[in-house]
Amino acid sequence: MKHMNKFKPRGMQSTIMIVFSVISIFIMSVLGIVMYIRFSASFRQEIEQNTQQMMEQVKESMEDYLIGMRQVSDAVYYNVIKEKDFYDEANSIQQGMNLIYEVNRDNLRSIAVYNDYGSLMAAEPVALQKENPDVTHQDWYKKAMEKKENMHFSTPHIQNLFDDSTRRYYWVISLSRVVELTNKGVPTLGVLLVDMDYLSISRMMQQMNTSNNGQYYYLCDGNGQIIYHMKQMQINNGVIHENNEAVSQYKDGIYDEVFEGEHRKLIVKTISYTGWKLVGVIPYSSFTHGMFNIRYFILILILLMAMIVALINRVVSVRISSPILKLNESVMEYEAGEKAEIYIGGSQEIRHLGYSIQRSYEQINTLMREIVLEQNERRKSELDALQSQINPHFLYNALDSIMWMVEGERNDEAAFMISELAKLFRISLSKGRTVISIKDELQHAQSYMNIQKIRYKNAFSVVFDVDESVYSYCCVKLILQPILENAINYGVNSMDDCGEIKVTGEKKDDNIILSVMDNGMGMSEEEVSLVLTDSNRIHKHGSGVGLVNVNNRIKILFGKEYGLLVESEPDEGTKVSICIPAVPYTEENSKILEKGYMFSGEEIINREV
Amino acid sequence: MMKNKKNTFIIVEAALAVMVIILAFIMYREQVGTDRFKISVIIPNSDTSQWAAFRYGLKMAAEDQEIELFIVSTGDILTVEEEINMIQEEIDNGADAIIVQPVFGAESEEKLKKFESKVPVMLVENTASEEKEMTMLPITEPDNYAMGKALAEEVLIDYSGRIEGKTLGFFTGTADSEALLNRRKGFEDALQGMDVQFCWSVSSYGASEENLLENQAKVDIVIALDNMALVKAGEVSAVNNLHGALVYGIGNSTEAVYYLDIGIAECLVVPDEFNIGYQSLTEAAESLKHYTHKMQNNIVSYTVIHREELFSAENQKILFTMSR
Repeated sequence: MKHMNKFKPRGMQSTIMIVFSVISIFIMSVLGIVMYIRFSASFRQEIEQNTQQMMEQVKESMEDYLIGMRQVSDAVYYNVIKEKDFYDEANSIQQGMNLIYEVNRDNLRSIAVYNDYGSLMAAEPVALQKENPDVTHQDWYKKAMEKKENMHFSTPHIQNLFDDSTRRYYWVISLSRVVELTNKGVPTLGVLLVDMDYLSISRMMQQMNTSNNGQYYYLCDGNGQIIYHMKQMQINNGVIHENNEAVSQYKDGIYDEVFEGEHRKLIVKTISYTGWKLVGVIPYSSFTHGMFNIRYFILILILLMAMIVALINRVVSVRISSPILKLNESVMEYEAGEKAEIYIGGSQEIRHLGYSIQRSYEQINTLMREIVLEQNERRKSELDALQSQINPHFLYNALDSIMWMVEGERNDEAAFMISELAKLFRISLSKGRTVISIKDELQHAQSYMNIQKIRYKNAFSVVFDVDESVYSYCCVKLILQPILENAINYGVNSMDDCGEIKVTGEKKDDNIILSVMDNGMGMSEEEVSLVLTDSNRIHKHGSGVGLVNVNNRIKILFGKEYGLLVESEPDEGTKVSICIPAVPYTEENSKILEKGYMFSGEEIINREV
Repeated sequence: MMKNKKNTFIIVEAALAVMVIILAFIMYREQVGTDRFKISVIIPNSDTSQWAAFRYGLKMAAEDQEIELFIVSTGDILTVEEEINMIQEEIDNGADAIIVQPVFGAESEEKLKKFESKVPVMLVENTASEEKEMTMLPITEPDNYAMGKALAEEVLIDYSGRIEGKTLGFFTGTADSEALLNRRKGFEDALQGMDVQFCWSVSSYGASEENLLENQAKVDIVIALDNMALVKAGEVSAVNNLHGALVYGIGNSTEAVYYLDIGIAECLVVPDEFNIGYQSLTEAAESLKHYTHKMQNNIVSYTVIHREELFSAENQKILFTMSR
């Protein structure tokens, strides 16, 4: 049973809501994902482009800076040192160097010239040389001497040349080259050293490294030795690691790499003249870091859309389902018998449906009424058939009597007989009606008895003792006649001139009681019980229409509680009482009774007068 | 039935609205950014060059840990009370943790301990109490005893073990502290059993008399147990007032290195001040970020530098931190 409930069909509105919602959510999710992918792709592209642009700018300014230093070196060499003798032109050389130094002092730490033994020939700013700096063992000197034709940029190092009275140590990048010196007219080789302040380079790099999303830049030389890294000390201490050695082998471009389990994008640019590598590192996490807001934004957008879609879904589903639900409710109410009207409203199709249902219900009603009417007609025709059974027997007997009267030339009697017969038939016909007034019925009974009396040669007497107040009530046509016929045939026929039949009528409560009493031989109880039940009883005399017939007609027309009551005592006589309801004889009541009120359900008007 | 559906619809709409509000709030928080923890550092003479590497270490750790760093500008912190007042002031100003070089004193430890219930307190350089093992607060410091011992070993190497009959004098530049005591103890322990004479032990801290060092009796070797002492000894030696004594010492400033460079100091033991700063702040930051994290003691390394290898690649890295 539970299993059945699980698959219980859902309401129309729920189904529409669920289907709409699922489709909407699906579309929104797809849209959201597509939007996110699109946004994140363009966001990445933007970051990459910005990074590249920024690196390009820094690269250019760094190259400008280095070119500037080269130009300083060139200027010192070609304009100051070359062609001049250190012996007699020392002052001129010093002045020249001083001029160049002063112009570039923001970026320079010092300019110095050493001879091939490592002795200081000139320096700017003028400073006290350390006791024994042994420059020939310093890297910049060795490199210059190794490749005399080149200019050499060193990695950052502490300047170890002069005695600084401020007891400070300076980080410099050395640009060294071999130069030709003239001393006392003798040309010798020497090394020109331009020490650049490391601060200039580090300041450029620091300005780049202001992003707080994990993106950073560092500078290393061609061997991978770090020149600047914002976390240089952490790298030195082994707290963090950098892939600088591998990166130094990369050519310019954009690379994807996984370093220590972290996916990141590298942008490498080579600084001209030095072979230094400017490296931009964009961890993939920094892409997502920037995407957080977009992610939330898209989510909020989807939720807001979901809210609106839910609202629209509801409105649409209510609008679609509401007329159908109303129609369904009205049909259910109709079926429960509460309401006879079918809801008609909503869209054209549903209106059409409503009209169709209403029409079919109306047709069903009409058909049912027709069936009832047909049923009544059938009963009526049965009744008519019963009534028609009377006429041939009686007519035969009456005409037989009249024939004998005519033959016996009893013309007056024959005329009276014919006149009574005419009355009898007039009432019998009664314009085809079944219901007539009691007065007419009594008239019919009297006519019948008059005919019978002539036929039986006044062998019995008839007394009509009917209260006149009952004359105007309804009665079934021809119910007294068969009873009287029975009274004649079975009661008083065999008695010689002392037979007596009495017809009485009175209103008792709501009923009319018409009784036919005879003083005939009467019946045993056994016979009495058979009179109203055995319709197959063989009639020895009369029309053959038994009391069963009369009893049935009364019950069909007025109901089962009405009918005949037969009381009889052997040798005492028989009393047959007709019990019918006191229905005033009016045109309307007559019609209702004719239709059969029990079936039509219409109430009889003024049943009690 | 209809009412149920209406209720469900209202609940769904309300739930969606609540989710929108929560997301908007999170988005707002992301944009505004959460408040960073603030850590205050209280060290005497915080602007001097001897703290350059330490400050650099603090700065790097603050960047790595995303901490707002305050280095309180101080002069000589004289008393425990002054220091306690400064700490209280920092806490009142919203400091979430305190890094402090404690003043050596009898009640210093207890008073600092009281702050620990409010904010994490990390000691640097030396403990507040005399007994290092007895300290109840976490500390980041070099192995002072080992540094003293290493210095003594360098003396022995330079004299090729033939140190008998030599006279020595201890010189300090700051108030007595657990660090100084352990350095001296380490030095003395290393020379134990040797025929050396410790002639005097003086401190320039709070000394009223000028030329304190010059007035001491002539010794063969002056052992400067802290940076200030080494610089002072260098200055005195530079003007030839040290009666030809050789200077060995522990220091961590470019000034101290300078005296090694120009040959006044024979040997220099340099504690890794960068890592004292870096590790102390990292430890304090961890304890702020993770409630369950209990701060640990950290011992940092030291380097013995001779004049000859002063400009080696490794030593240049040490100089790099001092020159920041």
